[in-house]
Amino acid sequence: MKVSRRSFLKYCIASAATIGLDLSVVKLLEKALAAAEAPPVLWLNGANCTGCTVSLANVVAHAGALDVGDLLINTINLTFHPNLMGAAGDLAVTTLFDAAQAGGYILAVDGGIPTAFDGHTCIVWTDPRTGMEVTALEAVTELAGGAAAVLCIGTCASFGGIPAGNPNPTSIRSVREIIGGSTINIPGCPPHPDWMVWTFAQLLAGLSPKLDSSGRPKELFSGKSGVHKKCPRKEVDGKAATFGTDGLCLKKLGCRGPECKADCSTRLWNNGTNWCVGANAICLACTENGFPDKFSPFYRD
Amino acid sequence: MSTLDPINGVNKVTTQKAVIVDPVTRIEGHMKVEVSIEGGQVVDARCTGTLFRGFETILQGRDPKDAPILTERICGVCPVSHGMASVMAIENARGAAPPDDARLLRNLVLGANFIQSHILHFYLLAAFDYCPGPESAPWTPAWNVGPNRGWSVSESLPRAIEARRHAHEMGAVFGGRMPSPHTYIPGGFTAVPTAERIAQFGSYLSTLTEFIGNVYIPDVVELAKKYHEYGSEDDSQAIGAGCGNLLAFGVFDLDPDGTSKLLRGGTIELGKASDLIDTNAITESVGYSWYDDAASRLNPANGVTLPAYPKESAYSWLKAPRYRGKPFEVGPLARMWVNGIYNPGKPSVMARHLARAYETQEIAAAMREWLEGLTPGNPVYNDFASPSYGQGMGLTEAPRGALGHWVEIAKDKILRYQIITPTCWNASPLDDEAQHGPMEQALIGTPVDDPAQPIEVMRVIHSFDPCLSCAVHIMRPSGEPVMVKTG
Repeated sequence: MKVSRRSFLKYCIASAATIGLDLSVVKLLEKALAAAEAPPVLWLNGANCTGCTVSLANVVAHAGALDVGDLLINTINLTFHPNLMGAAGDLAVTTLFDAAQAGGYILAVDGGIPTAFDGHTCIVWTDPRTGMEVTALEAVTELAGGAAAVLCIGTCASFGGIPAGNPNPTSIRSVREIIGGSTINIPGCPPHPDWMVWTFAQLLAGLSPKLDSSGRPKELFSGKSGVHKKCPRKEVDGKAATFGTDGLCLKKLGCRGPECKADCSTRLWNNGTNWCVGANAICLACTENGFPDKFSPFYRD
Repeated sequence: MSTLDPINGVNKVTTQKAVIVDPVTRIEGHMKVEVSIEGGQVVDARCTGTLFRGFETILQGRDPKDAPILTERICGVCPVSHGMASVMAIENARGAAPPDDARLLRNLVLGANFIQSHILHFYLLAAFDYCPGPESAPWTPAWNVGPNRGWSVSESLPRAIEARRHAHEMGAVFGGRMPSPHTYIPGGFTAVPTAERIAQFGSYLSTLTEFIGNVYIPDVVELAKKYHEYGSEDDSQAIGAGCGNLLAFGVFDLDPDGTSKLLRGGTIELGKASDLIDTNAITESVGYSWYDDAASRLNPANGVTLPAYPKESAYSWLKAPRYRGKPFEVGPLARMWVNGIYNPGKPSVMARHLARAYETQEIAAAMREWLEGLTPGNPVYNDFASPSYGQGMGLTEAPRGALGHWVEIAKDKILRYQIITPTCWNASPLDDEAQHGPMEQALIGTPVDDPAQPIEVMRVIHSFDPCLSCAVHIMRPSGEPVMVKTG
């Protein structure tokens, strides 16, 4: 499974328009990829469900051959990712420590950070040097300090998400609340793989994406392509009065499209196969700060 | 668990090596494993679930109809099973059944996710215990997998990655998007089948059926041959046997009230089969879990979740579910054996992998029939109002084993919600009677070549396809205390 790192570049060129990449970014990427090893990505699991990683595995080029294999093997230098990595236990942890010591890494976090019981509801590893269990709270605090960028993958890391839903039994906080510094938030429950790839491409090209007040890249979450704004059902006469009817606006049933700034209605999911509203399922506004409690109960009927 | 704690003694001195694997990687979620090694084999084991999120508490006071959406986020690998269990529990509380085409659509999207999950598990989580992965991060560095026995997934891997993605795309045809589709709703299903969507789904299914038969199953059969000490079809002396008790709730309803299922529920108790499941005989112990002891040995219908940390003697966030007071293994092996599709005679590491592969084929074949049973224009949703008061139970299967949701509704809101996930059964800690969970039992007796990188321990753990959504830990060979015990 040998793939050239160039394939990522080809992917970005081929699908620049679709994933929203500016061609000037592609040029910067070309330079960066030709020059050196990509910075290591250290991916921490907080109070997560693994759904963000599974969603990343669905990445596919809209034109070209790139899939998650190419992406992982040749592009993003994913040094630490518990769900995927070959090493386990001490070897996994020392690999992370070595990369952390060298600095210049991208810290990616999925899952919120529990603070109840001193963070002991989420243990990320045992420190081989001390034999002590390390909490996600301790790990994220320490690793954020030396990171070139902190990337919150999914709504939980970005804002707390469902595990932080009332009454927030494990006192989960977002990564930004924990570290008190800036994070790049890629929310979504789960986030679309394109949003993750777009952001990795920016960072590899040495750019810092402009962020909105929720810490999300403005280019991805401007709201110009919000779920309702570009919804193909917007102009359709008649609103669905019950579930299981095709093609109608779902507002009366509880659709939160008007409150959702994500571009799902034009980007679509799973290689352009479909999207929530396309299957007559309401938009939950899962990319928005306050999900789920702000939008719950979800259904109106 | 005395062997894991140093005990001062004098008479006969035994040297044990305590090894901690933390994180256990290539699983879903967080898990830590501690094993004691003596004379080249594991003599004691503790599995620790290291994540607690409190979903049961978050659900309290909410609209019952929100439960499928919220519980799907327990697990991003098997969200569909949680959605299914949840709609079943809420419909059970009402005493309502969905329209028949909704049943078929639910089966199809769930089937798509079973295929996705099984391929993901074998090629991305388990395979690299037997052959090196691609030569770059995150697959390097890696643990030593021992001498090359001429088995590798390097040729199949690109196709497997594509097949897994295709299975998700297939699920999205009716599910909207994967993972976490919101199309499962009490009362039925939101998407309607059209001729175009049916054809699209069918095209994916053909491609996947070809992959399962020509790539996946041959890869697993070959692995079982090359690693026969881990169990193969003609070998009953195998590593990783476990407790010998197997349990399935059953899945994929074939009729409107779910009496008939593609894979029926039942138990195998030390080789003896039964088609009956008595849900009143399920209890959860918390003696060794970080929960209040007052809530121990309760049936999930009356269960409570009261975290208590720290707690002396406790070592896991998983409770210890037991059936008739005994540990039971759940998963594809339980389903295949109970249904007489595959009976290896004894559980083992390879029996689990083989059962998973054969099951994938069984499900794909049934999906073709369900797809052909869909009729565009038929209803997929019956108007549904949650009962103001009521109790319901939803028993189904996740790819990794039996899954149950229990709901109690009062004053139109969720009063109580309890969930028992498959990995709770498999990776459970000691129970109040000090019986080890199935995975702990499977680890005990496992030969270990190199305590610094006990790959054999990983092989046993991965065969269960654990999904803890938060924590696997690996052993530490250096600096560990030398355990001394009296003989």
